Amino acid sequence: MLRVLLVTDTDKPIGDLRQALARLGYDMLAEVATPAALAKVVEEQRPDVVIIDTESPSRDTLEQLAVMNETAPRPVLMFSNDGDQQLIHAAVSAGVSAYLVEGLEAARLAPILEVALARFAREVQLRKRLAEAENELADRKLIDRAKRLLMDRRKMSESEAYATLRKRAMDQGVKLAEVARQLVSMTDLLG
Amino acid sequence: MNTPKAASHSAADKPEKTHIRLGFVALSDAAPLAAAKILEFGHSHGLTLELCRQASWAAVRDKLLSGEIDAAHALYGLVYGVQLGIGGPQGDMAVLMVLNRNGQAITLSNPLAEAFNQSGNLKQALASLGRPPVFAQTFPTGTHAMWLYYWLAAQGVHPLRDIRSIVIPPPQMVDALAEGQLDGLCVGEPWNAVAEARQAGRTVAVTSEIWPNHPEKVLASRRDFVALYPNTARALVQTMLEACRWLDSPAHRADISTWLAAPELIGVPRELIAPRLLGDYDVVQFPKRPLPVSFFDEGAVNYPRPSDGLWFLTQYRRWGLLSGDHDDAAIASAISQTTMYREAAALADVRVPDEIRADTLIDGRIWDGRDPAAYLDGFAVRA
Repeated sequence: MLRVLLVTDTDKPIGDLRQALARLGYDMLAEVATPAALAKVVEEQRPDVVIIDTESPSRDTLEQLAVMNETAPRPVLMFSNDGDQQLIHAAVSAGVSAYLVEGLEAARLAPILEVALARFAREVQLRKRLAEAENELADRKLIDRAKRLLMDRRKMSESEAYATLRKRAMDQGVKLAEVARQLVSMTDLLG
Repeated sequence: MNTPKAASHSAADKPEKTHIRLGFVALSDAAPLAAAKILEFGHSHGLTLELCRQASWAAVRDKLLSGEIDAAHALYGLVYGVQLGIGGPQGDMAVLMVLNRNGQAITLSNPLAEAFNQSGNLKQALASLGRPPVFAQTFPTGTHAMWLYYWLAAQGVHPLRDIRSIVIPPPQMVDALAEGQLDGLCVGEPWNAVAEARQAGRTVAVTSEIWPNHPEKVLASRRDFVALYPNTARALVQTMLEACRWLDSPAHRADISTWLAAPELIGVPRELIAPRLLGDYDVVQFPKRPLPVSFFDEGAVNYPRPSDGLWFLTQYRRWGLLSGDHDDAAIASAISQTTMYREAAALADVRVPDEIRADTLIDGRIWDGRDPAAYLDGFAVRA
């Protein structure tokens, strides 16, 4: 049975993979969250696969173990053309890095990475939506500020200010928020 | 401004790719990248730089190989490790230029530093622990591993048998030292300064004592990037040379410390970054002012001298990371982009230093790159 170690030292919920992988029948080692603990577990418990966030600072700890210890899991090569490697590449773009012991067939790794990939693809979606929502909010604040500037300095009503911004955006073929950004930054510059 | 030099640029010299994503790791010696971005040194060469902070050297490597970043502030040794595929993926790599020399240090835990300072003998000091000492460094084939191993070996301590060395990311090293999980570490600044400020340990050696003016971080990229975008690569070197030149002034180093302190760059208070960037070390520990980090020094810093790279290969062989008959000199000369560097240096009006440089290292041995096999054979302590 493959022994799988999850490293949970970033805010991505790698730990959530645990149950799904256990259900698939993998032997899940107790997860670790610090580089020092990671080194100890890899040396003492010898996992076959280590799943770690691509952005984890602890990755260099695994690199050292791979170089100094022949039985330690090694970073997966991401740049080959065969199908399983493509899957691994996809997993890495989704934010998962895998390290596995040499000689482990990719076929045995595939289900592990499929689960990780599905999990992280969803995560990426959620983050994207959150970022969009945040941008939208920031844009709205910017437009409000630009409107208030026009209302204060040009003595416009709110609807006049809005119409002015919108007309300019349409004339210039840019987003309303962009016009607002220009106006606000020019005003900041002129004081 | 339309200087004659800019005017002489024909359309054929224009950068093929104008937006460059540059990877870096949160260290004081990322200063040239920070300066180049903040002051937009790239604009006059047709480049827009984007800085992309990386959490690990493994991420720097993977993103260089996948093309997610175009070039990076990288450990000299990382480039050679990837070229040889030591412990990870292999790819043909390029060193465009050296970004800095010196500026790293070795910190010991308080009790160990005290024992070392009292006896002046590292071996005895380590024996006083009564267990195998644990040292941290930053990457298996990296510069800090090699400085640490060299320093230990020069004092009769075998780095692979007498101590255990683990890799811990620099920002976490200080915690590990404070918690007693480490007895010593070798890392770039500001992390040694942070360890002292938190009273977790003492800086006992700076790396310019191990090898005066040693090569440290380089501007690294894939070799096919240089082949595909030669004008971009040259413009990038010109840009970074100007940033390095700018950093030679103490006033500018003080300025850059403020910027480096920002959370998106290093996120450590300015007071912990500035002194060592300016070469101020504790006068009790260092009565003779050590050679500080250098970024330019009239161009002496930046030439990607193949013999600098060859030195790392001698150390990989020494410590068993590399074996077999590779043509080490050919590897180093393929990685070092000397022709392109000379063109960029001429355009930036930067002097190119002599090809041969001879330095005496901490163990009294001289490295000039002429006979790597004899240099390697001369080491008593080895894997």
